[in-house]
Amino acid sequence: MGRMMIVNASPRAPRSNSKRIIERFQAYWAEAAGLYPTISNKHEQALADLQGCSDLLLVFPLYADSPPSTLLGFLKALSAASISPKPAVHVIINCGFIEPEQNLVALDIIRFFCRQNGFPFGSTLSIGSGEAILDTPFSFLVWRKLKKFAAAVRNRQPVHLQTAMPIPKKWFIAASTNYWIQYGQKNGIDKQQMQTMEIEGGVLPPKQ
Amino acid sequence: MNLLMSDRPLPGIQMKEADRYIDLSRLKIRNCVGCFGCWVKTPGKCVIRDDAVTVYPLIAYSSRVIYVTRLYCGCYDLPMKIMLERAIPVQQAFIRLYHGQTHHIQREVKPKDAIIIAYGDAVPKEEQELFRRLVARNAHNMLFQSWRVIFAKEAELFSVVYREVCAWDA
Repeated sequence: MGRMMIVNASPRAPRSNSKRIIERFQAYWAEAAGLYPTISNKHEQALADLQGCSDLLLVFPLYADSPPSTLLGFLKALSAASISPKPAVHVIINCGFIEPEQNLVALDIIRFFCRQNGFPFGSTLSIGSGEAILDTPFSFLVWRKLKKFAAAVRNRQPVHLQTAMPIPKKWFIAASTNYWIQYGQKNGIDKQQMQTMEIEGGVLPPKQ
Repeated sequence: MNLLMSDRPLPGIQMKEADRYIDLSRLKIRNCVGCFGCWVKTPGKCVIRDDAVTVYPLIAYSSRVIYVTRLYCGCYDLPMKIMLERAIPVQQAFIRLYHGQTHHIQREVKPKDAIIIAYGDAVPKEEQELFRRLVARNAHNMLFQSWRVIFAKEAELFSVVYREVCAWDA
């Protein structure tokens, strides 16, 4: 087994679901791995640390149907760097929607990046209902797939896995509504306030 | 209202009085930090008070948009991508079923006809197809009732944009 670097590309890395997923992955991986949160914006140091690694694991949430800009910035730096040998790139992506297939375009963007820049593309895990699933009884589904994912990376037998809450969409919507209401209540904001239709107070910005 | 939003200057572009032109390269827009403040603390308002707060209301209130962006790996390049990520105050945290999939409920967002002009030289067909798929996904989350993707070489970009802006008035 070679060396691995794990990139947490969540814009909220220190308190992100990506962080929780990485912590569990590391337990299954059971080897030391470098960890780089892209929001620290120290790409140069991270790329130096990546030298000699056999595997690069990208963990991130879906942002505007694609990888977050913090990750795109890192990929740009990665493509400009001389990394040798080029590590296999693996991806774990989570989205707040119940359908893990909403992550597919983002996965293909990373796959395209790898092909354009000569990085072997490895395993993927696509997680739906990500904002909430880790705090539900269904979290075991994520951990089970994560264990399988870690084994596939270790054995160099790429897999493409996905998981989500096994409930009807209407139940998911009800559960996520409760989740967000409680989130708002912690900030003293009620459901009606969260449902405001106004954007920036409904005022059109002046012309530049 | 119509909105032309570009990641590079388009010197000399003519817009009607009621329409808006945003040159993202002139603005200071930080990355979204994923705090969810615009959903659960100050609904409809981003807590980062930079230039993005003057842009996303225009996105919301426009019924026709043209986005001009460099292409990067089948995705919007950073300036446009950062702005689109910062536009989530136009949505609520709450989820609904829309076209059979779960998506966020929109606030006061007009359904829009969108034209995305992606520029770059020697863009492979595979990358073009990937970007089309991305815009098709965006359509669900950005309330595009119709959308069209145009690929342009950098040298011909202005004329392509000019043609599409003129077509608004046709």
